[in-house]
Amino acid sequence: MTAEQRSLLALDFCGLALSSPIALLSGCVGFGEEYTRVAGFSNADVGAVCLKGTTLEPRLGNAPHRVYETPAGMLNAIGLQNPGARHVVEKILPTLDFSETRFIANISGSTVEEYEEVARIFDDSPIDAIEINISCPNVKAGGVAFGNDPEMSARVVEVCRRATGKPLITKLSPNQTDIAHNARRCIEAGTDAFAVINTLMGMAIDIESRTPILGNRQGGLSGPAIKPVALLKVHQVHQVCRDHGIPIIGQGGITTAEDALEFIIAGATAIGVGTALFYDPLVCAKINAGIAAYLQRHGMGTVEQLVGTLVTERPATQCTS
Amino acid sequence: MNDRAHRDTIFVEECEILAHEAHPGAQHILRIRAPRIAAHARAGSFAHLQCDPLLPMRRPLSIMRVDAQAGWVDFLYKAVGEGTRLLARRGTGETLSVMGPIGTPFSPDPARPRTLLIGGGVGIPPMLFLAEELKRRGAPWAPFVIMGSEVPFPFQARPSRMLVPGVPEGVIAAMPLLEDWGVPSRLASRQGYPGCFEGYVTDLARAWLEALEPARREEVAVFSCGPHPMLEAAARLAREYDLPCQVSLEEFMACAVGGCAGCAVEIRTDAGPAMKRVCVDGPVFDARQVFGA
Ligand SMILES: Cc1cc2nc3c(=O)[nH]c(=O)nc-3n(C[C@H](O)[C@H](O)[C@H](O)COP(=O)(O)OP(=O)(O)OC[C@H]3O[C@@H](n4cnc5c(N)ncnc54)[C@H](O)[C@@H]3O)c2cc1C
Ligand SMILES: Cc1cc2nc3c(=O)[nH]c(=O)nc-3n(C[C@H](O)[C@H](O)[C@H](O)COP(=O)(O)O)c2cc1C
Ligand code: FES
Repeated sequence: MTAEQRSLLALDFCGLALSSPIALLSGCVGFGEEYTRVAGFSNADVGAVCLKGTTLEPRLGNAPHRVYETPAGMLNAIGLQNPGARHVVEKILPTLDFSETRFIANISGSTVEEYEEVARIFDDSPIDAIEINISCPNVKAGGVAFGNDPEMSARVVEVCRRATGKPLITKLSPNQTDIAHNARRCIEAGTDAFAVINTLMGMAIDIESRTPILGNRQGGLSGPAIKPVALLKVHQVHQVCRDHGIPIIGQGGITTAEDALEFIIAGATAIGVGTALFYDPLVCAKINAGIAAYLQRHGMGTVEQLVGTLVTERPATQCTS
Repeated sequence: MNDRAHRDTIFVEECEILAHEAHPGAQHILRIRAPRIAAHARAGSFAHLQCDPLLPMRRPLSIMRVDAQAGWVDFLYKAVGEGTRLLARRGTGETLSVMGPIGTPFSPDPARPRTLLIGGGVGIPPMLFLAEELKRRGAPWAPFVIMGSEVPFPFQARPSRMLVPGVPEGVIAAMPLLEDWGVPSRLASRQGYPGCFEGYVTDLARAWLEALEPARREEVAVFSCGPHPMLEAAARLAREYDLPCQVSLEEFMACAVGGCAGCAVEIRTDAGPAMKRVCVDGPVFDARQVFGA
């Protein structure tokens, strides 16, 4: 990509300077360095990297199997395996190359107090922003149980807001009736941004043994299969965010530059790539190039000009039949 | 300060299919052109393949052989489900996207050059790779390979020219490639294939161990890849004779680079149970960590 194309992709997200609208999604890239094993992959190609969901104490996660391919996507039930917030801050963050990209913590808890404590631990660290995961479908307590209740969601955001001055991104679940209402309550509680959406709950069964394939019985569905759902949720949340200047990281099944552009037009300022990496670890450079080419073709000077430009009034056409 | 030694160790290559042979029992041997993977693979490494553009996920397969000079990589796989069945349809001249080499390889200990390699079914590939690697290293490495299969072996067995003490009379079937390399091997099956040991690979292994003098036995290390019950039996045998044993595990995978924790299995460590990723912490593990001491 040329320097000019690179400059088209740069943007501001809650005061963070991102070099590209792409964020690598939580749970897909470990604690930030795993994909650098792949020759040709670079964290410098993405605007931000969201680290694996982190809780106060270490967690071993769920029993195997934890992942399973499904039509146009996959189920996962990892169960928030992580070494605990203190370990992440003390042992892992010092090994990350902050010159390449922005790193975002992704926090979880079984209680409101746990969220607050984890947010406080990351507040006292070089992390660039904190994403509140109130939408994990794979744990018994907290997670999506909080995310589906707008009042509980708002309480979690409120305590995290007290615990940190860093940008706060609230990750919303698609497994709820009125995502726009939930978003409104989270804005009132002090969120700076949203991530939309987390995975949809799903299941797969081995018909020979008549047992669930996933050790956790159920899991979260991701990949192209959920893209249309995610796009609509981004559109709905954008209606609420627009007037407050609150940005969205749109995500769910993004695989190509065209997918990314759809999300940006629907109202996402940044876009997340997760499951697509599993098929093509070098996909981000291709998405960057595709977005830049589109912006040039449409005479736009920056990707921010495209955000939320969905045209809903159809131009009048003559009826011929 | 930063330990970034892992960086740039896995290559994504668009690979031409050079040969693709079908064998009985839905087994297939695939040769691809993958110069970077061939140059860096070690015994125990695997690759992550796009079987078909229609599928959303890749499939992991062990690397069986490489030729770093010629730049090719061989796999042996069984078509068991949608992914491997679609792969079996791909023909010579087509291209596949393949990532590799991946994983922590086998680590033979020079203090134990008498390596006993036990492969079962489609667990044969990494054993063949290890045998070739040890053959290349030469003396004092002395591998003995036992392969088991309940479907016809994906090669024409040949009567061995190499005597192996402890192997029952009449058990003469060997793998031609290993014979050519001067590496002794024997085959086992319960299907009554001619020249094969009739029974489990671990029973044949036991006969071989029993025939060794105690001092020689102390130079033995066991390496195994195959179905889980076979690995467990190999680990039990090693424990009984107080031998170190390394096993290669399988688990469902998404990323295969350590990013998703989807392939984690429970491992015993001094600090208690831990979840380790088969893709990068493995696939090769110490058998005691998997099955207990
Ligand atoms: C490190 C490693 C090395 C392997 N080496 C070989 C080899 O050399 N030869 C060979 O024939 N097979 C090997 N396997 C197993 C091979 O990956 C599976 O047989 C294959 O993924 C099955 O895919 P499918 O779509 O045909 O089957 P399906 O049963 O339809 O698969 C459904 C899903 O489950 C996953 N899955 C099912 N069984 C396995 C399994 N045993 N291991 C991992 N994932 C599985 C698939 O990847 C897929 O996502 C290896 C597995 C691992 C982890
Ligand atoms: C294996 C896996 C693990 C995940 N773990 C987390 C997690 O720890 N925290 C979180 O907020 N989201 C997690 N997610 C959800 C993703 O971050 C993302 O929101 C979702 O997968 C949709 O995007 P995609 O279709 O591009 O993957 C995980 C997803 C996958 C596939
Ligand atoms: S498959 Fe993702 S960590 Fe091993």
